[in-house]
Amino acid sequence: MASIELSRIQKRFGTAEVLKDVTLSIADREFVTLVGPSGCGKSTLLRILAGLEAADGGTVQIAGQDMTRVRPAHRNLAMVFQSYALYPHLTIAQNMATPLKLRDLSRWARLPVIGPLSARSAYRAIGEQVRETARTLQIEALLDRKPSQLSGGQRQRAALGRAMVRQPVAFLMDEPLSNLDAALRVHMRAELSELHRRLGATFVYVTHDQAEALTMSDKMAVMMGGRILQFGPPDQVFANPATLDVAEFVGSPKINILPGEVDHDGRVSALGRGIPARLLVDGRLAKVGLRPEQLHLDGGADGWLGRVVHRENLGHDLYFHVALDADDQRLVVRGAQDRNGAESLGDAVRVGFKPDRALFFAPDGTRLHSVVPAKLAESA
Amino acid sequence: MQNSRAHLWFIAPALILIFLILMLPIGLAAAMSLTDYALGNPGFNWVGLENYERIFTRSTYERMFGATFRYVAVVVPMSVGLGLGAALLIHSLTRFGNLYKTIYFLPVMAALIAMAIVWEFALHPTVGIVNRSLEAFCGTPLELWRWHANGCENGFPLWLSDRDYAIWTVAFIGVWQGFGFNMVLYLAGLTSISPSLYQAAEMDGATSGWERFRLVTWPMLGPTTVFVVTITIIRSFQVFDTVEAFYPQGGGPGKSVYVMMFAIYEKAIQQNLMGIGAAITIVFLAFVMILTLAQRWLVERRTHYV
Repeated sequence: MASIELSRIQKRFGTAEVLKDVTLSIADREFVTLVGPSGCGKSTLLRILAGLEAADGGTVQIAGQDMTRVRPAHRNLAMVFQSYALYPHLTIAQNMATPLKLRDLSRWARLPVIGPLSARSAYRAIGEQVRETARTLQIEALLDRKPSQLSGGQRQRAALGRAMVRQPVAFLMDEPLSNLDAALRVHMRAELSELHRRLGATFVYVTHDQAEALTMSDKMAVMMGGRILQFGPPDQVFANPATLDVAEFVGSPKINILPGEVDHDGRVSALGRGIPARLLVDGRLAKVGLRPEQLHLDGGADGWLGRVVHRENLGHDLYFHVALDADDQRLVVRGAQDRNGAESLGDAVRVGFKPDRALFFAPDGTRLHSVVPAKLAESA
Repeated sequence: MQNSRAHLWFIAPALILIFLILMLPIGLAAAMSLTDYALGNPGFNWVGLENYERIFTRSTYERMFGATFRYVAVVVPMSVGLGLGAALLIHSLTRFGNLYKTIYFLPVMAALIAMAIVWEFALHPTVGIVNRSLEAFCGTPLELWRWHANGCENGFPLWLSDRDYAIWTVAFIGVWQGFGFNMVLYLAGLTSISPSLYQAAEMDGATSGWERFRLVTWPMLGPTTVFVVTITIIRSFQVFDTVEAFYPQGGGPGKSVYVMMFAIYEKAIQQNLMGIGAAITIVFLAFVMILTLAQRWLVERRTHYV
C-alpha cells in the first residue's frame, strides 16, 4: 500500500500535446478517479503511472521512491484493463497464478513438468493463494474454466482476481466497467467500492463516466485537454466546480448555463431576473449555472415563461426540457417529487429557481464567487 | 418441415461438385491402382493389391519413402521455425520491416524452375559460389572444423550429385523457397495479438522476451501454427519442381531424391504405368490425410480459444 506522486508529467504524441504539466498526489489507501471526456489524457496518465508509457517530462513517485525509469514489472502495481486482457489459453486459476509464478518462482521452478515436481510446496502455496482470492471474489466455481467460457461480469472478476492475488502497492483500473451492461455496471460500482474498503489499498481508476467517479471515489480528478481542472472529493467537485467545464462535465443531466449580466453594484441578473448574489466584477457579462434540481416549474409570476418540449422519465426522477419564450434557451428542470408528471408536452410553465446554490462564471469559464453569501444577499 | 426435401436442394450443388471434382477422381485412381492399365491399351487386367505390394517391398519405393520423409522432416520444422523467427524479428522492427518482408518473400514469388538454374550455378562443384567461398576459407581457423579441413584436402562436396548430400541440398532449397510464405502467415498472426495482453504480461512480471513469448506470443499464435504446419506438410509432400529441374532423368544420384510426386510423374506419365502411378497417388493421399487429421486431433482443439 502506498502513496503516489505524479509531478509535472508531460507527454506528447507527435505534435499533439496530450498531458501538459500534470501534477497529482494520491494518498495511501485513497480511491482516486481520473475522469474526463475521451481524449483528455486520463488513460495516458494512468499508463505513465503504470510505466507502460514513458513520460516526456516529469517524475513518478510510488511510496516515496522515484519510479520514473523503473519498468512496469518492477513497480509492483496491478492493472485491470478495459478488455480484461486475460490469457485466453489459460484457465482462470492459471491466469490468476501467473503473476505469482512469474514473481515468486525461480526460472527453474517455472519449467513445465519438472517445475511443479521440484518446487511442490511453492506451487501449493500459489494454489492456496489463488483459491483464497477466488473465495473473496466468489469466483471459486469458475477457476477451471477458460476466459472464453465466462460472461463479461465474470471475466471482470477474474481480471480483478489476477490483480489482487499478489498484494500490489496500488491497483490501476482503466475503464474496467465500460464493457458491462448497465445493470451490472451499477452493481459492480458498489462492489468495487466495497472491495476498496476491505483491501485498504490505493486505487487509481480511469473512467469517462462522471457517475462512476461521483459514486465510487474518495477524490476525483476532472481532466480536460491534458490538464487536471479540479481535484477533490466528489461532493465538493459537484457543489463547487472550479470552472465552467467542470460544472458542465459533472452532473447528469447537465447544468443549465444562462447568460447573465452584472451591474455596477455587482448585482447579477439572468434573462431579466435578478439573482441574489454579488460579484466583485461590474458592468460585465457572466454566465449563471443552475442545476436541474435547483429549478422548478412553479416559478410564480416572475418565473421564466416557457413551454415543455420534452419529458424525460427516469422512473425515480422526471426531467422537463423547457424552451423559454423570451430567449433561444432551453432549460432542463427536475419535476417536483410530490406532483410528478403533472405537466405534459406543450404546456406553458413558469420556471423558478432556488437561488442559494447558483454558480457564476466569467465569460472565459473561470469561476466567480459571490462576495456575499446568497442567503444574506437575498435578505439585503 | 420434416417431410420437406428443400434441404437436399440447398446442399445438392456442393455435394455434386465435391463428388465430381474430388470423390470421383479419387475413386477412379483407387480403382485404377488395382489394375495394370496403361494409356492407349485396349483393355486392362485386375491385379488386386499387386501394385501396393510392389510399393511396400521393392527397394526403389523404399528409396522413394526415404527421400520423401527426409525432405518433409527437414523442410517442415526448418521453414516453420525460420518463418516464425523472421516474423518475430520483422515484427519487432520499427524501420525497414517492409524491405525485409520483400526480401524474404521473393523466393516464394520467384518461379522455382528459374531459381533452380541459379542454384545449379551456385552449387556447381568447381565454379559455384558455394564451394568457391568454402575454398577461400581454407587455411583459416575454420579448418578446425574437421568437415571443412577434409573439404580443403579432398575437394568440397558435389552438392547436387553426391548421394549423401543431394536430398539435403534439395531440402535446403525447399526451406529457402518456403519459409517466406510461413513468415507472412506468422506476421498476420502477430499483428492480430492484442497489445493489452503484452501489457498485462508486463504488469504480471514477465520481464524477459522469452517469458513474453511463452506467456503470450506462442499460445496466441497457436491457430496460425496449426495452419502453417498443415500447409507446410502438404506442400513438402508435394515437392516436385526442384527435383524435376535438377534431375529430369530419374530422381538424383542413386535415386536419393526420388520423392513421391516425382515417382508418380515418372511411373504414370513418363513410363505410362497408370496402375502403379495411381497406387502411389493413393498412398500419398493417405499420408497427407493421416497427418492432417492427426494435426486436427492433437492440436486444434487446444488452440482455438474463442
